[in-house]
Amino acid sequence: MTTSKSRDAFSIQRFLERWGVVVAFVLLFVASCLNQGFDFLNAENIRALLNSNAPVGILAVGMTLVIISAGIDLSVGSMVVLSAAVGLTAVNWLIGKEWGEASAVWLGVGTTLLVGLAAGSLNGALVVFGRIAPFIATLGGLAAYRSMALAIAEAGEIRSQSDALFRKFGREGIPLAWEVPGVEGAESTFRGLLNSGGKPLTLPYSIIVFFVVAIIAQWFLSRSRFGRHLIAVGANETAARYAGISVEWVRFRVYAVMGLLAGLAGFLQASRMNSVSTSGLGVAAELDAIAAVVIGGTSLRGGFGRVWGTVLGVLILGMITNMLTISGVSPYWQGAVKGAVIVLAVLVQRGSRA
Amino acid sequence: MSSSPKGSTGKAWRAESDQVGHEVGPKSDLTVVFQPVQADSRATSAGNGGARGASGGGDISRAAASLEARQVTVEYPGVRALDGVTMSFRGGEIHAVVGENGAGKSTLMKVLSGSVRPTRGATLLDGASVAFEQPSDALRAGIAMVHQELNLVPTLDVAENVTLGREPSALGGVAVDRAAQRSRAGELLASLGAQIELSREAGLLSVAEAQFVEIAKCLASDARVLIFDEPTAVLGEQDAARLLSRMRALRDEGRAVIFISHHLEEVVAVADRVSVLRDGALVQEFAREGGALRDAAGAAVDEHALAAAMVGRALGSIYPEKGVARDAEPILQLAAFGAVGRSAGIDLAVRPGEIVGLAGLVGAGRTETAEAILGLRPATGTVFVNGRARAFRGAKDAMRAGVAYVSEDRKGRGLHVTLSSIANMTLPSLDRHARLGGARIDESGERAVARRWIDAFAIRCARPASPISSLSGGNQQKFALARWLETQPRVLIIDEPTRGVDVGAKAEIYRIIADLAAKGLACVVISSELPELIGLAHRVAVMREGRIVGEVDRAGLAAGHCEERIVRMASGLGDMKERTA
Repeated sequence: MTTSKSRDAFSIQRFLERWGVVVAFVLLFVASCLNQGFDFLNAENIRALLNSNAPVGILAVGMTLVIISAGIDLSVGSMVVLSAAVGLTAVNWLIGKEWGEASAVWLGVGTTLLVGLAAGSLNGALVVFGRIAPFIATLGGLAAYRSMALAIAEAGEIRSQSDALFRKFGREGIPLAWEVPGVEGAESTFRGLLNSGGKPLTLPYSIIVFFVVAIIAQWFLSRSRFGRHLIAVGANETAARYAGISVEWVRFRVYAVMGLLAGLAGFLQASRMNSVSTSGLGVAAELDAIAAVVIGGTSLRGGFGRVWGTVLGVLILGMITNMLTISGVSPYWQGAVKGAVIVLAVLVQRGSRA
Repeated sequence: MSSSPKGSTGKAWRAESDQVGHEVGPKSDLTVVFQPVQADSRATSAGNGGARGASGGGDISRAAASLEARQVTVEYPGVRALDGVTMSFRGGEIHAVVGENGAGKSTLMKVLSGSVRPTRGATLLDGASVAFEQPSDALRAGIAMVHQELNLVPTLDVAENVTLGREPSALGGVAVDRAAQRSRAGELLASLGAQIELSREAGLLSVAEAQFVEIAKCLASDARVLIFDEPTAVLGEQDAARLLSRMRALRDEGRAVIFISHHLEEVVAVADRVSVLRDGALVQEFAREGGALRDAAGAAVDEHALAAAMVGRALGSIYPEKGVARDAEPILQLAAFGAVGRSAGIDLAVRPGEIVGLAGLVGAGRTETAEAILGLRPATGTVFVNGRARAFRGAKDAMRAGVAYVSEDRKGRGLHVTLSSIANMTLPSLDRHARLGGARIDESGERAVARRWIDAFAIRCARPASPISSLSGGNQQKFALARWLETQPRVLIIDEPTRGVDVGAKAEIYRIIADLAAKGLACVVISSELPELIGLAHRVAVMREGRIVGEVDRAGLAAGHCEERIVRMASGLGDMKERTA
């Protein structure tokens, strides 16, 4: 639905409104390279950047859709911890019941996703049928879902009883190098991307999931009927209703999808840690997700947005954190820098976008 | 009710050279020189017609110019919206600016009111060049504009909106004097003859009510130059007449009134001077002399001559030949139908091939009834489509049964202005382009459909993938119509089909509606423009206060005084016995 404004004269402001996020990404990338030398371009480093930001990235992708519908979801961090807590508890309970590890883990995965979907659907139902403003409805979710997770583990940590399988998803991936058998008794060597220890580098499942989710979301946004309806509802709900769109159904679904993605992010996080800290997991994730969406150029007024921008937004935030940490800036100050970047992004991109 | 707006003489602002100082107040740094204007009681009290006496006209022609656009050119990339236009507006004069959509009227007004800066040329206020950076600068200089788009704050009430930005203060400025605010707003609205509850939220107002509030807001600024951009477009005939008489009163107070309207009869009735724009250039000017608008040669001109000047050629009748309604069972039938709280007891049957007009004043419940048919608002009574009782749950539900509704509110409800023409075109019929269960839209199919309608309706749309807001009103309206025709309806309800549409496009839209009827569609046309209903419909039902109070059949429409008859029915004047079948 993005349209070219090619007939208008070139103007820097208009260019930045549209492509500011790309410019910022490139500038930061170059700055990171200058700052860290070519260590930054190291595949391992890039992998770490992507990997650590994949869960929040998945949330941000969902948040993009919610915001395009002119809504907001403040409960994503709490949905993450609730779905992860319930899912991991289910895994442990099944293992305790002498179930096989594989079936326990897979059922646990399903439970995690279902809890996310259910929590998101409840948000959607409150917004659509309860006619509660999304900000308020999901503010309730922010408090309630976290509280339920805390109650499950008495505010403590849930450790996985699965020996190996559960943590595989968050920690392992597809190897990016293959073994070449040594000739005439020599040691075998690897070809492809290697880490600093000379072992094969893996592409973590988290990153794959993040990109697959982003690609599917971008496709649905710009190519599907649901995406068209989403944009129409976000741009003008009344006009959408008059055009025969079921506004309620569209809005309900976007919150349900957000919940499902929160469940997915929760599962990846739990798997990576092999445990769930009910007081720590997903705290303030909604802020990071919304920040990435805003930096990515999606309009908070709804009706316009882009998933690819959000993906860049996630990476921009990640690179800033990365660079500040390496430069030895106190973590206490990092929030201030991030805050400034978010405000700057809005200043540059707010414009005459109708 | 207040056809003599001069009743509020205390507020009457007449700038005369010797009493400018205290009257002008905050604007006292400006030198205002207006000639005293002779009040013309005939012009101010007349509800319509209002030809000004020769004496008033003579004085005005000698009045000092107060606002002038000199050699103004406005260029947008690829478009020259205004091309060296020079026009002066004088105090004590109603100066109409007419032209087709895209002729540059709105751009000129935006220059005068400070929201667009000219590429070349200057704006002169009382002979001194002024450069407005933004509308508030113009407002401070005494130039206020009633915008075509309504700019009310939906959550504030009527009184608060009217006095927005100039609230009467109490307690030394820390609080708003609510009582003064309400009485000021009440006065201004009463002077317009509008009865609107002061405590209602602006968001709940109808379009016409909102327009009156907008005008009152503009009057509250006590400006010397008032620009009315299509103020009557959303008003019914009575409301429009009331507004026109108020405009005359404002002129008689010595203000410069600039009037833009597609309703050329109104222009002929009230304007002291008419400038015609075509393709961004001033092509002709007319001035009132001896009670009539005259061209340079002194010949009297009427609305047809104005229309010809606008398009640069003589126009034939803009209404197509009326076809014959088919002698078949009605497709759409309403029985004791109504929109809860807005209309009731409506019985109406529309046969295939028939165009039924729905007349009435604004607020008579016509739009609400149409929305209730679709299920967009709660309804009472029964709708029959093809003889089957139906209770639609929304536009989509109605669409499946072949009932389509084209909204009067093109920007707010009819179209998504930020989306592309193609997306707007296919939104109601998107299911037809859905592949893989909706996961993919067949975009080339969409483009083809848009292209087909662009050709069929001669829509001027160079870039169908660009936001539809870049099109003119007429072309937008054609898309609004086409998107519903694409759903292949059997019943088409069109609300204000030509609002904000220029003369040329109007004729094309009438032609389209007549063709649709000829193909067997049952059409309901809701309009506040009576000539449109009379020229287009086979019969006209008249609504007042939520009920049908009369009907004029085909023979009645052809009779001479039918317009007057409809107005009487719509306003509750005259006897109800005139109800003809």
